Amino acid sequence: MKYALLVYEDDSVFGADKAGPKIQELVGKHMAFSQEMGAKRLGGQGLKPVTAATTVRTAGGKKTVHDGPFAETKEQLGGFYLVEAADLDEAIAIARKVPLMQDGSIEIRPVMGP
Amino acid sequence: MNGAALDRVFRAASGRIIAALAARFRDLALAEDAFSESCLRAMRAWPERGMPDDPAAWLYRVAERIALDALRRRQVREQAICDVPPEPNAEDTMMDDSHFIPDERLRLIFICCHPAVAPEARAALTLRLVCGLTTTEIARAFLVQETALAQRLVRAKHKIADAGVPFELPPPHFWSERLEAVLSTLEIAYAKAHEDASGTGAHAGFAGEMLHLTKLLTELVPNAGGAFALAALVRFAEARRPARVDNEGMMIPLSHQDPALWRADLIEEAGGFLRDAVTLAPVSARTLQALLQQAWCRRQSRDEPAPWAEVLLLYDRLLTLRDDAVVRLNRAVALAEVEGPGAALREIEQLATPGLAEFLPYHAVRADLLRRAGRKQDAQAAYQQALALEPPSAERRWLERKLGELTA
Repeated sequence: MKYALLVYEDDSVFGADKAGPKIQELVGKHMAFSQEMGAKRLGGQGLKPVTAATTVRTAGGKKTVHDGPFAETKEQLGGFYLVEAADLDEAIAIARKVPLMQDGSIEIRPVMGP
Repeated sequence: MNGAALDRVFRAASGRIIAALAARFRDLALAEDAFSESCLRAMRAWPERGMPDDPAAWLYRVAERIALDALRRRQVREQAICDVPPEPNAEDTMMDDSHFIPDERLRLIFICCHPAVAPEARAALTLRLVCGLTTTEIARAFLVQETALAQRLVRAKHKIADAGVPFELPPPHFWSERLEAVLSTLEIAYAKAHEDASGTGAHAGFAGEMLHLTKLLTELVPNAGGAFALAALVRFAEARRPARVDNEGMMIPLSHQDPALWRADLIEEAGGFLRDAVTLAPVSARTLQALLQQAWCRRQSRDEPAPWAEVLLLYDRLLTLRDDAVVRLNRAVALAEVEGPGAALREIEQLATPGLAEFLPYHAVRADLLRRAGRKQDAQAAYQQALALEPPSAERRWLERKLGELTA
């Protein structure tokens, strides 16, 4: 099965524009993690900070453009992986190893389709 | 062969067959539907042709064919090739032998209690799929609407299928974590059965299933002390069921119960499980709780002194492992007997757990302590608070009697 691992962390610790020294450290960890995953990693990307987010909202058929993320939360979507895993337990085992700088969450979502 | 007899046969076979089908086809809903359909066919076929020698094997073979047909139809409809049922392996070939259905119930329990399944659905799902209880019975036991419970079960089954919860037993390094979820799920399920002292209606069968299921776990996971402690715990508690209510249906507190009415067979069985639990997991909250139960069940008659000092000692030890309001409250009951109600009252007045105001045992214990300390008016108020929480009938009668004695 294919799973998306959505990485949520409070991105304020990474400094303005996610350019502080912590981000270098975290990128290094993610590169090592990607290497370790090998062929199980089908894709993935880190995201620019939530301050760079723009949302297009559709309500009653009308589309409007807004500054900011879909929802204001304490932890923000900071990146994602697409992985191949035999089942949920393997996906959980991979998710446990996703590097974080601090407290955070990895949401595991099975991908639709084959 | 009447309906009730058939129902007993179906229920006895259900967990094992659904588990075997689920393991083979990796689809819970399919396993459950195929089993129901095979029961319907048995209801038509058996009264005419007589019950087969091995009804479970008959039900399993028919359910297996129904499941295979359903899968074939699904493939034609979706023109999909990804849904081919797994090739039968050596184990499956043995299943075709009319006397052998592999016991996959442990796998099924682990699926039902997977951490990805909502905690409030785990116990219900286990009781439905592994124990064969009906949604009506489970809804009654958990005091929820049947429609709400049915939805909860459907959501849980969808989650298991969509999220890809594995149908394999977890690898050994996951066991401690995963077994804990299984044991606490069973604990919740049993607590539901135990709450109602009179044990009438759905609860009776429900508690019986717990005896069976906890024994099964000890056979399947013979090195897990927690499983043995739970098996002992459930037996000690069930052993006392005949003595828990009087002829008028009023609850009788543990220390007032007549040990002659307790079931010696279950107490002996429990003792065996507890010996293993003590060897495998000497320092664990569950083992201590089983030891607490045993302290009571060793009593032969009401003439023997109640084991309060030993109970207090065991609660002191339990407190170092599990410090919560329930343990502190139970410890206070023993403390009142050893050091007097005043000391116990001081202990429980310090409790500041959220939700305590809605917790029936808190008010019941507090009322009793206040009564014994001679604080009549406070005691009356506490009894009324307890009764306002709508206790089960046996306990309600007891609290009403105590309140009546105070006001008389």
